[in-house]
Amino acid sequence: MKPIYMNNCITSQPAPEVVDAMLPYLREKFQFPENFIKTGTERANELSIFKEIIAESINAQPAGLHFTSSGTEANNLAIKGYLSANAHRGNHIICSVVDYPDILTNAAYFEESGFEVTYLRCDEYAFIDLDELQEELRADTILVMTTLANHTVGTLQDVKTISQLIRDSASEAALFVDACQAYGRYAIDVEEMGIDMMSISAHKIHGPQGIGALYIRSGISIAPTKHGVNRIDPLSTGGLSIANIAGFAKAVELAFSDFDENVKYIRELSRYLCESIERKIPYTMLNGAPCEYRVAHNVNISFDFIEGEAIMMMLDQYDINVATGSACFSEGLQANYIMMAMGRNHEQSHSSMKFTLSRYNTRAEVDYVVEKLTEIVAELRRRSPLYLDFLEKNK
Amino acid sequence: MQYSQKVLDHFMKPHNLGKLENANAEATEGSPACGDQVSIWLQVNDETQIIEDIGFLSYGCASNIATASIITDMAKGKTIDEAKALSWKEAAEELDGLPPVKMHCSVLAVDTLRKAIKNYELSHKLITEDKAGLSKERVLAELATILYPKVGEDLISLKMVKYVGVDENGIVTVDIDLPKFDQFRGNIADEVKEHLEKLPDVKEVHVNL
Repeated sequence: MKPIYMNNCITSQPAPEVVDAMLPYLREKFQFPENFIKTGTERANELSIFKEIIAESINAQPAGLHFTSSGTEANNLAIKGYLSANAHRGNHIICSVVDYPDILTNAAYFEESGFEVTYLRCDEYAFIDLDELQEELRADTILVMTTLANHTVGTLQDVKTISQLIRDSASEAALFVDACQAYGRYAIDVEEMGIDMMSISAHKIHGPQGIGALYIRSGISIAPTKHGVNRIDPLSTGGLSIANIAGFAKAVELAFSDFDENVKYIRELSRYLCESIERKIPYTMLNGAPCEYRVAHNVNISFDFIEGEAIMMMLDQYDINVATGSACFSEGLQANYIMMAMGRNHEQSHSSMKFTLSRYNTRAEVDYVVEKLTEIVAELRRRSPLYLDFLEKNK
Repeated sequence: MQYSQKVLDHFMKPHNLGKLENANAEATEGSPACGDQVSIWLQVNDETQIIEDIGFLSYGCASNIATASIITDMAKGKTIDEAKALSWKEAAEELDGLPPVKMHCSVLAVDTLRKAIKNYELSHKLITEDKAGLSKERVLAELATILYPKVGEDLISLKMVKYVGVDENGIVTVDIDLPKFDQFRGNIADEVKEHLEKLPDVKEVHVNL
């Protein structure tokens, strides 16, 4: 069996077509876009086509799309750029306890520098509390931030309702959406959903690493966060890789050429993985929203009595790559904050496993993973004093 | 950061796994909330005081299982006095090293072994229950068993503890010097609280970072 990759929420394998589309730009078509000279205008024309392809996938105007070197850079440009250009309009921003770290660390940074931040609560499925949002919106609220698909449990926030609530309130806040996990797996229409700014990233959808983009609605003012030479984009100064942008556009073409079928395939595979685990392994629990309310590729399950890093390390011995919410695998040795915010206990957090699939995964791979997982969970439970206690209590 | 081959070998095929049915001492340390718990069972020869058999169960990560496996290997065949002297550093060295962030697993494995031996000694009247109350020395000794995960050394050796206060009402105050954006702030605060709350006569623990 070749290595099995089910960690697509972190990064994903570049499509072969993406690599082919990039190669000419790494060889002879390496020049930056420029005026008047032949190679420069050719690159400029190609760049505008790539922009159109990507903008169309979210129903945006190409002029609203700004390339960045990553999703995180897009998030920083949105938050820092917007707040520095709009601080005179108000002092209050809103996000939620289940947002992506980029949003939360930026919120903490601005809180430190004098902004007032409201962190919305969430329910047991990681849906944010929309009643609370309605109550918290006020005249001096200038920015509302949300993460479209939760990076840990895949829960999709109701962005359309969020933007409606902002419009119906006394606030003139802009809505910023981190869509890096959802993009390419969930239909996004920035017009219909009322999104003012949105970040996306290429490497989560089989594009190259090192390129992302920020959509900014016309009329929203943003200050540059990097000052320097204007090569491609005044909001993201300096050189950006044309090869990466070419690869990004190709990845978008592939994901969106047969979007509904693509998403359906991944969703059904996720459902099959989820149902196979529930059928074959006792004492498990799905974390996050039910299938139809979560992004297509995310399956997050806790396995009682055992610890996630051990499960992950054993799967790794079979060349199966997945992620865990265990503290033992976290940067700060702490329980996963998304799991805790949903009201799970520490053990459920430590035993949570995250499988994120892609169109390159197959049913045969899912079968193999579930087979190995069944053996591994049984073996680790055999070693666990918690399982022994459980068995002795239930004799 | 990676595990040594020896850690992976002990993790995949642990030695001395399982509860001993004829054990004459046992101990469980750690807690599920922290994501690691180890139980150790001993069968000690009452005449020679040699650990003739030993078994363990572990709820925890790969290095938690591997350190419990190696410490039980090291203790087997030794007298209880020899086994008591085993250190977490020796156990980690025996595994060809551990990543700094995983050193606390070795501490837990050694603590569990020592607790099991102590339980044996208590039940066989070799020692009497420690009646010493709460003191600053006791708190400092406990803090010396908590590791700073970034480097895998204890808080006292690293001179990170700036103040320890113990008052007559059992309120313990500890000041720890940590950089403002240290990734382990939450972990250290939890660990210190959990360790100190277990000491006798402690009513409240305040940790200032």
